[in-house]
Parts: sequence; structure tokens; C-alpha cells
Amino acid sequence: MYQQLRNLSDKELISRARKLKDREAEGVLLERYSHLLVAVCLPSFRNNPGTNPQTLFPSLLQRLSNSLKTQTIQKANEWIHQTIKSYFANPEKQVPYYPSRDARDQLHTENRVEKAATNTIEKQALIAQVQKALSGLSTEDRFLVEQFYLENQTFTGLAAQKGYTTEKVRQLLKKAKSRLAMQLTNQTYVR
Amino acid sequence: MSDNFTHNEKLLKIFAGIRCLNKDQLPRYLEGRLTDIEKHLVEQHLVDCDLCYEALQSLQKEGQMEQYQTLSAGIQQYIRDSIKPVSQLQKMERYIRKSKKRESLLIYFWVVAFIAGGGAGLYLMQEYNRNKPVMARPAALPIVPAAAMSTTPPPDSARHQEASLADKSEIPVAAAPRKDTVKAAPPAPQKPAADSIVVTRAAPTPPAPKTEDSVKKPATAANTPKEEKEKDTPATTVAKTQAPPPATPPPAKPATSTAMDTDEFLYKAAMVYQQQGDLNEAISRYKRLTSNTGRVGELARYQLGICYREKKQNGRARRMFKEVVRMDGSMKQAAQQALDNL
Repeated sequence: MYQQLRNLSDKELISRARKLKDREAEGVLLERYSHLLVAVCLPSFRNNPGTNPQTLFPSLLQRLSNSLKTQTIQKANEWIHQTIKSYFANPEKQVPYYPSRDARDQLHTENRVEKAATNTIEKQALIAQVQKALSGLSTEDRFLVEQFYLENQTFTGLAAQKGYTTEKVRQLLKKAKSRLAMQLTNQTYVR
Repeated sequence: MSDNFTHNEKLLKIFAGIRCLNKDQLPRYLEGRLTDIEKHLVEQHLVDCDLCYEALQSLQKEGQMEQYQTLSAGIQQYIRDSIKPVSQLQKMERYIRKSKKRESLLIYFWVVAFIAGGGAGLYLMQEYNRNKPVMARPAALPIVPAAAMSTTPPPDSARHQEASLADKSEIPVAAAPRKDTVKAAPPAPQKPAADSIVVTRAAPTPPAPKTEDSVKKPATAANTPKEEKEKDTPATTVAKTQAPPPATPPPAKPATSTAMDTDEFLYKAAMVYQQQGDLNEAISRYKRLTSNTGRVGELARYQLGICYREKKQNGRARRMFKEVVRMDGSMKQAAQQALDNL
């Protein structure tokens, strides 16, 4: 059963944990992200030496578990990241997870792409829309997107080419992608 | 063209959903041990995923890797430990709930089956009681004692018959439990029709062999098919089944009682049909007897009236009772009362 659960997607695990109150599914989901949780929390141990991992992780996991039962989760990684951030900002207060407008646009476009994977006509239409949206981006954004996604350039390669840091390249790419998703969503609504 | 299409198809890569870095990929990416494709996929994911990017940033700092390994193993163990017992408990609970549900379903099934069975039984009982042959309850209809019928003279002379019927005005008509018939029938010792038929049928023939022969022969000669038909009627079968042993003959029967008139026989057969609830058959048989102007005819008319009344054909019933009243026989009073009640 455990192995079968491990093969399920995040969405399915969340659904099982919520609807069937399946603790095993919840465990598999949290275990899937546990290493990232630990890695993200590591700087806090160094910054606050008094922080005890024996109390921090159980309380964080408990908060995630509670949140899983009550909130609508579109993307598990975003949900976990936001929960960790809010926990460190204010450990007493439980801030509900709510995806931003950018995240929602992106999710919407991702879903469309996933749906069009087996439909050639839909795929062609979507490609045309992406091209149109891409032409609406600024020259730099378009250059970065094309180099990264079409020419398979790496962060370091692009950073070296443009003279930016990798962090900056990532930020620029993220913003360009977000704008692209927003334009695609707007196109859909206009259509 | 196809190259252009593949190039264009790459555009959809921008929005391809890629999973977060797993436990193996994370250190391998940091150590630069990923293939070019793998690395590009990870970087594509890193564009969106703040969690993975922060995790990588955190681990890139020196001295974090060891702590990460221990804490990561610890938290995984913690999650497994906290989930497992609960999971076992959950399984147990589920099993118990399932078995309870099965048991309760079984109980419901038996309860429903019992109720349905009981209901069906009651319904069948009611139906049986409603359609039960009146043989089982002999006093259900006004019955003319067989003795009265059996004492009717043989059909050799109409005068004899009339005389005997006139005499039989003293012979009591069996009282019926119905309101009007109870009132109509004069008080008399009751005898079930079936029994009376049996008595007449089972009566030993030796005392008057000659008369019986003399009576039966012409009857059989004239009405052989009729008799054959009537032999199969329920009256005869009932009589056969309920016939007492021939060793106990009825006390002191007149010789005329052994002789069975065809009309009497018809009348009795019709009575049996009426008692069994087959009113149509009874009516058709009674109708054949209406040509008889004697006692049997009067009784047949009276019973016809009762049959019609039971069939809610009050007009016909009234006509029959009026005819009986007009005949001024022994059933006059009963018919008059029935007319009043109609």
C-alpha cells in the first residue's frame, strides 16, 4: 500500500488525505517534501541557536497536517513554502494558504498544456497563443525565455552571457513566465 | 516544417509541470552530477519553485549537508512512526466498522425477511379465509337440511311430490348465520349440507332396493350424460371424502329418502358451488331448477335470490324473492324478510 501511495501524484495524495482521511497518504505527501522542509529550515537553526529541531519539525508538520485538512491546495510545494514562511514569521499565528494571482494564472496555463498533450488541434492553438504572448514580452524577457526554454541554456550560461547572477536570471525568467501566463489567461478570457 | 513544429512545440515546455527535486537529485545537483537534460529540467522547475530554490541555496552553504542528512533521516522516521500506529489503528477501526456494518446489514435483512414473511402469511391467511369453501363453515349460508330434501318423493308423480313438499313445510330449513336468513329460517336442528348429502349418498341401499332401482333406472336412461357430468362435481367429491363408514347407517330413514331425484341432486350440487363461492356456476344450476314448480323450484329460486344479492344484482334478487313469495311455500316468510332487507 505504501509503495502504491508513493506512485501517486500530489493531487491524488491530497485528495485521499482530505476525502478519505487517509493518514498514510498524508504521511507519504509530507515525506515527499520532508527533505526540502529540512533544507529550508536549516538557516533558522544557524540564525537562532535556541531552535530545537525536536520541537520545530513536529509543530511544523502538525501545522501542515491541520492545513491539509481545511485548505484547498493547488500546488503542494507552494503550500509548504508558504506555511514554513508564515511559521517563521509568526509561530503562534496560523496564516491560511492562498495562491497569488500569478500562481493561479500559471496553474491555469499548466493545466491547459497538460490537457492539450493528446489533442493536436488544441496543442496547435495553444502554441499559436504562446507565440503571440511571447511576441508581447519585452526584448530581454523574450531573449531569456527563448534561450532558456528553446535553446536549453542553463542559469549559469545565461548569467555569464548577460553578466547577471544566477539568482537574477532566475528572477527575470520567473517574471517573464508569469507575464506570459497572465497574457495567455487574458487571451482566453477575451476569446 | 516538422523542425519548425518541434521548435514550436518546445514553447509548451515553458508551462510543463515538473516535480520538485527528490532526495537523490538535491545533492546530485549541488555536486554537479546530473546529466544535461536532468539539469535543465531541474532548472526549469527552479524557475517557479521557491521551496526547491531555497533548499538548494541553503544547502550550498558549507557545513549544512551533514546536518541536513541527519535531520532529513530523523524527520522521515518521525513521519513514518507517527503515521504507522495511526494507520494500524485506522485499519483495525475500518475492519471493525466493516464487520459491524455487515452484521447490522444481516440483522436488517432478517428483520425485513421476517416482516415480509409475516405479512405474506397474514395476507395468505386472509385470502384463504375470504375464499375458503363454505364446507368448512357449514352454517355460512341458509341450508336446507338434507333430510328434508331426501324425503321428497320420487318424480314418478307430480301430485306425490307436491303433497310431500306440503308436508315438509314442517321440516325445518337450516338456519344461516346471515342476518336476514337467520331471521327468515325457522328454528330447527341444524345439519350441514355436506353431511346431509353424505348421509343421503352413503345411506345403505339394501332396505329399499326395488324402489331405488325403479327410480334410478329411468333417471339414468334419461340423463346419463348429466349424471356423468355431475359425478365430477365437487359435491360428490366432498361427499366421498367426508362420507362416514357405511357401517353406521342413519337411524330410521324413510324408503323415499334413498331415492335421489335429479332435481334434488342438481340443487345440492348447486348448493355446493354456492358454498364454495362459485356463484356463477351455482346460479346456472339453480336456473335449471326454476322450471320445477315444487319445493325444489321454490328453494332454487330462493337461493338464486341470495346468489344475486351476493353478486349485488339486487333487481334480480328482488324478482326471485318475489317469485318465492308468490309461490306461497315454506320459504315465503324468509323470502319476504329478504325482500324487506334488500
